[in-house]
Amino acid sequence: MKSVRLSRAMVGVMVAGGLFMSACGYDATVVPEAKAPATTSGSAIKPVECDNATQSYQPSNDAAAARRELLNPDRLVVGVSADTYQLGWANPFDDSRIQGFDIDVAKAVADALGVKLQLRVISAADRPTLLGAKTDGEAHEQEIDLVARNYTMNCTRWTQIGFSAVYYNATQKVLVRKDDVGDFEKRGVASLAGKDVCAPAGSTSIDNIKEIQPDVEAVPAANHTGCLVKFQQGEVDAITGDDTVLAGLAAQDPYAVVPDQQKLTDEPYGIGANKGDKDLIAFVNSVLEQRRSNGEWQKSYDKWLKPYLGNATAPAPTYGRR
Amino acid sequence: MSQTASPQAAPPPPAAAPAPAAPATATRAGTGHVDTPGLLNRWQLIGMSVAIVFGLLSAFVQFLGWQSDGRAAEDTKQLQRVQEIQSSLLRADALATNAFLVGGLEKQRATYDEEINTVLREITNAADAQPADREVLGELNVAVGDYTRAVADARSNNRQGFPVGAEYLSGASTQLRADATPILSALVKANTERAEGSMDGQHPFWLLLIGLLALAGLLWLNQQLAQHFRRRLNKGIAVAAAIVLVVTVIGVVGAWIRDSSNDTLRDGDLALAISQAKARTAANDAKANESLALIKRGSGAVYLEEWEGSATNVERSLRRDTGESWNDYVAVYREIRKLDDGGNWEKARDLATTSAASGSSKPLDDFDKASDQIVKAASGHVGHDLRSGRDVALAISIFSLLLGIGAALFVSRGIGERRREFS
Repeated sequence: MKSVRLSRAMVGVMVAGGLFMSACGYDATVVPEAKAPATTSGSAIKPVECDNATQSYQPSNDAAAARRELLNPDRLVVGVSADTYQLGWANPFDDSRIQGFDIDVAKAVADALGVKLQLRVISAADRPTLLGAKTDGEAHEQEIDLVARNYTMNCTRWTQIGFSAVYYNATQKVLVRKDDVGDFEKRGVASLAGKDVCAPAGSTSIDNIKEIQPDVEAVPAANHTGCLVKFQQGEVDAITGDDTVLAGLAAQDPYAVVPDQQKLTDEPYGIGANKGDKDLIAFVNSVLEQRRSNGEWQKSYDKWLKPYLGNATAPAPTYGRR
Repeated sequence: MSQTASPQAAPPPPAAAPAPAAPATATRAGTGHVDTPGLLNRWQLIGMSVAIVFGLLSAFVQFLGWQSDGRAAEDTKQLQRVQEIQSSLLRADALATNAFLVGGLEKQRATYDEEINTVLREITNAADAQPADREVLGELNVAVGDYTRAVADARSNNRQGFPVGAEYLSGASTQLRADATPILSALVKANTERAEGSMDGQHPFWLLLIGLLALAGLLWLNQQLAQHFRRRLNKGIAVAAAIVLVVTVIGVVGAWIRDSSNDTLRDGDLALAISQAKARTAANDAKANESLALIKRGSGAVYLEEWEGSATNVERSLRRDTGESWNDYVAVYREIRKLDDGGNWEKARDLATTSAASGSSKPLDDFDKASDQIVKAASGHVGHDLRSGRDVALAISIFSLLLGIGAALFVSRGIGERRREFS
């Protein structure tokens, strides 16, 4: 009797054990927490005051002297944008060739130098470092000869790099949603208080808008097109930048509008170069002078920017920097 | 039941008994009498219990082994699924980024769609197959949804000639690596551990230990009987011990064979399937980085670094049958970089996008196909080997239980014989 009871108990234990093992599952798969990316503080460059931000070196057509300053003897490497519609962008309908108002300047300089042009796409933040500027006390190796990428001339930047004479006078403005146009036109930048406004990291636009309206929430992106993606995905309410760039963004999105507004700042564009490449800068100035006089500047402006920004003429250059 | 009888009171052995069966030790010092029937009952209970517990435990350990092999087959299949998702997702990204270099080539779209369909189908299958993966597969589904939406946005903007399309695409690739890659890595790691753990489910040592303990128990019982009766060997217990010995030998040898077979599988075909799936994923990651670096036109240093990392991962698992196509790909890639760095972006782009043998896509496609075939074949072997012979293992488990019960009956019979002799 006892042994029968024992056998039954054992069978029970075995069946229960089997069922337990069958039902017993694995622990849920866990994805390890991602390490938070190291946050980099913005550039802590102390603003420099001066009254000759647009003053460049006297033009010179000494191509040989300019060529001696190139990084490669037979090649001009120019840092450009490939996503700034109408200024410098890769056109998918034209075999992805990079073209635009800035690119025309780069082509003209390379042609005048008699060398091959290499366009290297760079971000706004990369501009000074790739030109070999010393930033935040850190030296950088020069990798490009020039920057033709809507580069605003200012006194602080002159301490890091050299500029050509001004080749376009842009202004900083704001792009908003179609729904917000009325409010913006009525109250101006005050309507942006508490709103998220995007501008490229390393550009002057973020500093400028914070100075005018400290209550905006500045949101950086790698470039203006990155701002447009954030804008389309509802992450930011507005984008600030140069009127040239904003016109290109508005052209890509019918819900993005640049309302009638007062300019926030003047943004004179120059071609950036290494601080020591004065012969190259002087040569670029002679090319810009030539383009102004032979109508090439106007032709280029009319082709790329006039449909979006209306009539304009070439800005007058200032020389005499030593 | 219990009967009190002194040895002196015990009746003489029947005439028919083959030998005198009177207890060898008639009295115990100090007690004066021994309750032999009670003792026989206790020994019968102990002996039967030893045999039944042996049968139960042996069967249980073998049942666990049988179950573990089945689980290992399922875990291996799940591992194959998540690695298929990983490789297909990176393959889709390689196709999407490459197509973008030539204005969103539509001819690559069908292949991209196929890869994404594979990803979505396998996510559903994997969630059905393994409840422990379900939650993270849900997160993966969201990440894949975000990725495909961003690629669709990129394509539609690109088709209108808007540069924001390229931004959507590079953002999609970056997000894919930030969101989906950690999930897939965690899934691969968890399922590799599960598959390897399940393959360790055979326990020949435990079966040997259970058998030895049972034999020791029966030997002890035989000795007790020998001390009380004048027969050195109890036939019933001897037969029970023989059954225990045979069951133990069969169980241990069977479990040992399966254990070594699983070790061979784990270090052989399973390791091969895992390493080749990783290589396939890394190769497609490299191709996507090659395209992204070209899309960025000189500002894609981060993608060049990523490419080198992916190439190192591929080269760790290179085999003779995949090495040639990978080396061909690397040679074209180096040529592409030379052209791009030398200012010949268009030529570099053409080499990266052409489907001709001179471009980088053809050798990469060859590598992808070859490694995919290796993964499928090796995973198939693992699943087949783990499942084969499982019916026999289950039959042995049941057989062990029945023989344990049989051994118990022989113990009962052996002690019953002594009881009859005693009475």
